[in-house]
Amino acid sequence: MSMVAVPATADHLPVPASGAAPVVLPSGEPLPGPVPGRPRRGTTTIGTMLFITADAMVLATLCAVYFAIKEGSAAWPPRGVQVGTYIPTMITITAAMSAFSVQWGVWAARRNDGRNATMALILTLFLGLSIANLEWLTFVRSGFGFNDHTYGTMYDLLIGYHLLHLLAAIVVVLVLAFRVLAGHFTVDRHDALRAGAVFWQYSNVVWFVVVSVLFLASRHG
Amino acid sequence: MTDTEVEEAAPRGPEGPVVPAQVLPEAWPKGTDHKYIGSLFVVAALVFLVAGAVLALVMRAQLTTAEAEIVGDRTYRQLFTLHGTFSVFLFLLPVWLGLGSAIVPLQIGAARLAFPRLHALSFWLFLFGGIMVAAAPALSDVFHGWTLSDPIPVRLGLRGQGPDLLLLGLVAVCMAAVLVIVNLIVTVLQLRAPGMTLRRVPVFSWSMMVSGAVLLLALPVLIGAFGMLFVDRHYGSSLFSGFTGSRGGNPLIWPRLFWFGAYPMLWALLIPALGAVSEIVATFSGRRLFSRERASVALVGIGVLSFAGWGTEVTTLHRARPLFILGGLLVLAPVALLIVNWLATLRVAGKEGDVAALRRRFAETPMMWALGVVPVLGLGLAASVVSAIDAGRDAHVTYWQTGQQHALFFGAATIGALAALAYWGPKLWGRRTSDGLAKLEILAIVGGVLLTVLGMLLLGVQDMVVHTSTFDSGDDWALGNMVVSAGAAVVGLGLLLVLLNLLGSVVARRGARAGADPWGGQTLEWATTSPPPAHNFDALPEIRSDAPLLDLAIGRSSSAAADSEGA
Repeated sequence: MSMVAVPATADHLPVPASGAAPVVLPSGEPLPGPVPGRPRRGTTTIGTMLFITADAMVLATLCAVYFAIKEGSAAWPPRGVQVGTYIPTMITITAAMSAFSVQWGVWAARRNDGRNATMALILTLFLGLSIANLEWLTFVRSGFGFNDHTYGTMYDLLIGYHLLHLLAAIVVVLVLAFRVLAGHFTVDRHDALRAGAVFWQYSNVVWFVVVSVLFLASRHG
Repeated sequence: MTDTEVEEAAPRGPEGPVVPAQVLPEAWPKGTDHKYIGSLFVVAALVFLVAGAVLALVMRAQLTTAEAEIVGDRTYRQLFTLHGTFSVFLFLLPVWLGLGSAIVPLQIGAARLAFPRLHALSFWLFLFGGIMVAAAPALSDVFHGWTLSDPIPVRLGLRGQGPDLLLLGLVAVCMAAVLVIVNLIVTVLQLRAPGMTLRRVPVFSWSMMVSGAVLLLALPVLIGAFGMLFVDRHYGSSLFSGFTGSRGGNPLIWPRLFWFGAYPMLWALLIPALGAVSEIVATFSGRRLFSRERASVALVGIGVLSFAGWGTEVTTLHRARPLFILGGLLVLAPVALLIVNWLATLRVAGKEGDVAALRRRFAETPMMWALGVVPVLGLGLAASVVSAIDAGRDAHVTYWQTGQQHALFFGAATIGALAALAYWGPKLWGRRTSDGLAKLEILAIVGGVLLTVLGMLLLGVQDMVVHTSTFDSGDDWALGNMVVSAGAAVVGLGLLLVLLNLLGSVVARRGARAGADPWGGQTLEWATTSPPPAHNFDALPEIRSDAPLLDLAIGRSSSAAADSEGA
């Protein structure tokens, strides 16, 4: 009688009954045997990735409306609108740096190196707050309002959508930094940290999409 | 194998409490048990179903006779809007989310959902959104249709906060749904019992996975669309108003955006019904589906192809129309294949099984509901062929489309949901409902839906337009409208019976106790008590296929045969 192995760490998995009979199909051939349970890690990370999939569809919807309106417009961006590339470039560089710093945090926590992990996450937070600050500056300095034209609306919506993710990611990383300090993560258990890093990276991806749409693919007419 | 081991594997006839602790009021509002939260979703969905049905009955009262003056045009349009919104977003969506999150962990042998507190949060967010939607007409008139495009509620002189509240409520509902779906998919990916490979996931859980994947991609489009429309209305931008120009946006975008999300969503709300019927047909035939692989593939096919036909609903896509018509027709093929699969299962069961016993089993309530889905689904498919070619051809949507949508997405999906409730309700709540009353319900609802749909199709042939709130006695629409109203009244009566039955059997606890396995089920949820304990299973049988309990039964009978041969 083959028993099914239950991994010791998976406290949520019910213990299978032993002693069930080997099952034979009416044709006489036995059914394929049981597949041993595998320890399933990364539940939070997979959940985060699925959430990101849905979230990316919202971003895609915003971009679709942007391009649809752009195609129907005579001049895009509208006359008189000057969007500089200096601040967006700075944000892009900062976002790229934060991508490395947050990953440094995960790798450090994986080695049980709490000191490096804390430093990396604090650096990430600092970079994130810098991006938020620069983004606020783009709103203030853009020279047009939310309702002046549809370009202004889409500009604010797209950058605002990234700002929303950035602020959420900052809260997540802040909590994770405290959890690192509290010693919650070990070599074996750092799923939440990985999930947080994945969300941070996604927030960067949102920025790269937004900057491509608004500044690289914007000239028209 | 000895008998004690079988008892251990599939405990039967428990003497535990009939209503589990987590269903008692003390659990409110802190409960996170997936069966408790799932049941809350189902209860909320049923409340909104009744509300939507009452709205429909008022509309039908207005349209039963020519030149009636029960409600005015504006009120009629409000009823119309709320009826559609309630039915789709506040009934069909939560009923499947609730049944899915209550049943799927049981079917895959898990003790809980992956994120139980997120699940509780999703329900309260859904309820909050649902109340916002229901409260919207109290602020100002909401008369834009459930597609929010007749007219698009931008600020074209349409003041009032009603549509704003409606939009925010819908965003909350859709976000709650996305969270439930993430939870469900992660649960199936991560928490399956040992031996439960992805290929062995039972067909209802599989259909919830497919439906979830479609909703995960479709609902965010609606969230984005509703969000932008809200921004337009509330903050005065003009994405969906005005025509080209530097300030103005483009009103043609709205219907495309809406249907890109809503069309796959409607199919995704039918897919779990097809999964539930597949499960029920297999169980009551006492055997596996004719081809489980093909059923799985057909469900995935519906999910994938549901994204291909959205353009048939949009009137302004001239050049791409042939492609969308093709997509709208292609998605019907896997549905038809699934019906063939069910019929083949029944046929093989009739050939190989004891016909008298089968006849008894086919008269069980869940199987009768499931068989009721077949004619409605067939009628819906036939109507869809015409609809896919015809819909969106000109600006006016006729009753043909209403009939087709009511056959597929009201009729088949709702009857499927009621079949699922009849099948899994005893498992979740520990009580069986009255079988005699159930026969009446099935007769009323299946018959009423068929009558309603046929009447609507007749009106569609006669070119009655959807938003018509009254008609002249000179028009030849009197017969069709009378038929639709009669059908609607019968359906309403049937729903009333469903509620009375549930209230009497489950809430008042008059129903007979359901044993662990009242139907001779094949999947893991029948290997635990009804209702299951908070941790779902004390012990699991070995899992070697998608029907572990059927394997056990076959193993038992073959070993009994071997014993008798040996003797």
